[in-house]
Amino acid sequence: MAVQARELTKDYKYGFSDIDVSVFRTAKGLSPEVVASISQHKNEPEWMLKFRLKALDHFRKRPMPNWGADLSGLDFENIYYYVKPVEEMSRSWDDVPDSIKNTFDRLGIPEAERKFLAGVSAQYDSEVVYHSIREDLEKQGVLFSDCDTGLREHEDLFRKYFGTVIPPNDNKFAALNSAVWSGGSFVYVPPGVKVDIPLQAYFRINSDNMGQFERTLIIADEGSSVHYIEGCTAPNYSSDSLHSAVVELVAHKGAKIRYTTIQNWSDNVYNLVTKRAIANEDATVEWIDGNLGSKVTMKYPSVYLMGERAHAEVMSAAFAGDGQHQDAGSKAIHVAPNTTSNIVSRSISKGSGRTSYRGHIKVLPKAHNVKVSVRCDALLLDEESRSDTYPYMDIENPDVTIGHEASVSKVGEDQIFYLTSRGITEQDATALIVNGFFEPFVKELPMEYAVELNRLLALSMEGAIG
Amino acid sequence: MTTPLAAEPTAALGPEVAAARAASSPTWLAARRRIAWDAYEALPMPSSHSDEDWRRTDISGLHPERFAPLENVDSTVLDAMRAQRDSAAPDAALIFDGPSSTIIDGADTLLAQGIIVTSLEEAATLHPELVQRALTAVRVDESKFAALWNALWRGGAFVYVPRGVQALAPVWIAHAASGSDVAVFPSTAVLLDEGASLTVIDTYASPAGTAPMFSDAMVLLSAGRDARLDYCTVQQWGGGVWHVAVQRAVLDANARLRFTGITLGSRLQKVWWEVLLDGIGSEADILGICFGDSTQHIDHQSLQAHRGAETRSNLLLKVAVRDQARSVYGGMIDVAPSAVHADGYVANRNLLLSQGAKADSIPRLEIRANDVKCGHGATAGHIDSDQRFYLMARGVPPEEASSLIVRGFMDDVLDRVPHRGFAELAGTLLDAEIAGASVAGVAASGA
Repeated sequence: MAVQARELTKDYKYGFSDIDVSVFRTAKGLSPEVVASISQHKNEPEWMLKFRLKALDHFRKRPMPNWGADLSGLDFENIYYYVKPVEEMSRSWDDVPDSIKNTFDRLGIPEAERKFLAGVSAQYDSEVVYHSIREDLEKQGVLFSDCDTGLREHEDLFRKYFGTVIPPNDNKFAALNSAVWSGGSFVYVPPGVKVDIPLQAYFRINSDNMGQFERTLIIADEGSSVHYIEGCTAPNYSSDSLHSAVVELVAHKGAKIRYTTIQNWSDNVYNLVTKRAIANEDATVEWIDGNLGSKVTMKYPSVYLMGERAHAEVMSAAFAGDGQHQDAGSKAIHVAPNTTSNIVSRSISKGSGRTSYRGHIKVLPKAHNVKVSVRCDALLLDEESRSDTYPYMDIENPDVTIGHEASVSKVGEDQIFYLTSRGITEQDATALIVNGFFEPFVKELPMEYAVELNRLLALSMEGAIG
Repeated sequence: MTTPLAAEPTAALGPEVAAARAASSPTWLAARRRIAWDAYEALPMPSSHSDEDWRRTDISGLHPERFAPLENVDSTVLDAMRAQRDSAAPDAALIFDGPSSTIIDGADTLLAQGIIVTSLEEAATLHPELVQRALTAVRVDESKFAALWNALWRGGAFVYVPRGVQALAPVWIAHAASGSDVAVFPSTAVLLDEGASLTVIDTYASPAGTAPMFSDAMVLLSAGRDARLDYCTVQQWGGGVWHVAVQRAVLDANARLRFTGITLGSRLQKVWWEVLLDGIGSEADILGICFGDSTQHIDHQSLQAHRGAETRSNLLLKVAVRDQARSVYGGMIDVAPSAVHADGYVANRNLLLSQGAKADSIPRLEIRANDVKCGHGATAGHIDSDQRFYLMARGVPPEEASSLIVRGFMDDVLDRVPHRGFAELAGTLLDAEIAGASVAGVAASGA
């Protein structure tokens, strides 16, 4: 009755790749010249070039992290840091090249657009090529563009927030992103505006050996609310790719931001992402974070609770198949009194996969009456799978209530037996249990994503039963 | 041996002391000590900047070379520790781990059973194969402090219980220190052969006060197949002591360990409580209580290493911190692929009693086998104002209400301590700590 490992299907469903249509790319590797040429190509203001060069300097000085996942396979000199696929931004669908459209078709973007009728910002390589904003969003004064456009058209607003949540010297990969960033989304929601349809952007890696360094900046002004969805599918390539994004969220007084990600990079991508939010007085920030793909993911969405009564919610799910390491978790830094945070993590390891929960709860001396709950559960499917939990808690105020619980277990033989005795095949039974295990995460997703996630899980589970 | 530098104390921890220690040891031990000293000199001091394990515990103020090996212990410390034994376990054999000589007292019952109760130093000469067996659990160069201990320990306590022997009385070990700018290397080695059973009470104390001292301790416990070991330890060093210790148990098939640790004293401690569940079906219950106040920095690291199949471990550490005290707890349940059906749990509960007190908790899991049941829990909280209100409404003064609640928080651990006399001693010491009447350290005679 043992659940046995069998090799994941080699027939990776999203493993297609298109002919490279890039029109401009920098030389491989990293140098001040490469950084300057990116900045020059984008006609950026002087301060941004300086920002990039300073970040590059910091990236070079900073040692590789000596904790977390194995990053020894990364070769920074064998990566294109900037690739621009087409000359001009396309304003309408008709202008988008057919080959790119084909890719989007296979990803289901037009459907997503029809369904959500919100702004679709599809990133093809490093540049946003297709971008539409629903008219009523524009009327409400919501800014939703790629980050380069945000810098060009709203420089003052952009500059006020850019790099304030995650400074370039925060960590090695934030420094890298700060030096070579391109693309990503820029969202500004004016005071009191509730964006009731999720904004979404698809990110794609296409060029071989090309890193994707998008930069996302979301500002929700006082009393506003917004839900942003980031989904990723990457084509398969033989050599390792690097994805190193920076996502900054600022929730002003009483604002609410929900940020949903389903990460499904192909299994040769290093996904090293810095995501951080600032929650001011009475604000709520929610990270809904799913990690299925990639070779290595290191990602710890965090919330700095800066204002009284701010609330953080992090719901994450990770699936590590053969050869994958998902080192994910979350951080809540309670700076202000009466702040609360709730963290739920579910992870599954299959075959030689490894999931690690790495979390950090910090309560600073002035933050009284803080309430924190952390719950992480892990499921191990095979004898060689591995699960780790590294929850760090630093408590510097006596007036707190903090609870942390974790469990690690395997799919119960009695559960399988119960289901199979009712005529369900063993494979379906395991899939059912796995789906049930992810249920708290899945129910937070919009329906289309919930369906996609279930499809991806089913795919990953194929052949899980010997 | 004289030192070339006149200004230095004649016997500060250095190569001369190490050479002298090697010269007075049997050949096999002398060789081990020399390798250990070389390793000590080669290894860098752990740094809170570059060593992840030491990130939260800063020992940049500790300079081992400024301490001289302890030569004499104040008799009042001895008397106070003996008094603790007399009230908590009058039947226990006493091993007094003095700096230059080890005193054994009241061990007749155990000796008659064929149990060896002696100093580690003497055992190294008389029973080298047993001591070598005990020492296999620690590599001479596994850390800076382990290397130093290996090079410089002397005296120490050694207990060996032969196959099938159930000890009729506990062994009470007293590691003492007194004075200023002195270093001690408390050593305890306990070997239980197949089917043996024993209770050990391992105590560490020095006078109250802030005189600087350095303790580098090693406890090596080994329980053979089907053996039963109850190990209780209390650390009540004075407020100027730097305490670094490894307390490690290796369990063979179906062995059972009940470990109780009470941490009250020291200026700064970093202690590893490690259980290696090597044998199939071995089990360990680890209970800990810690009370920190003033500016104490108390660091506990635990390891539950599941190597054998069907192994079970459970750890509960309760910590209360007051004033500016800081607790650091790092736990690890490490399950090897071979540990099928392992069952491990770790829980850390923290009570913060004042603004300014800190508690860090990092209960980690690394699971490399799939058919296991493992979990952990960590909580941090403060005194429940409802509970306090309830007590005050019944006429209990506020301070007393707080004391009662803190004591209640600890009591469920004390209730599970296997040796009642020790549990009562721990309760008394805890009450004194909570009342704030005594700072860390044993009271001087007559006080």
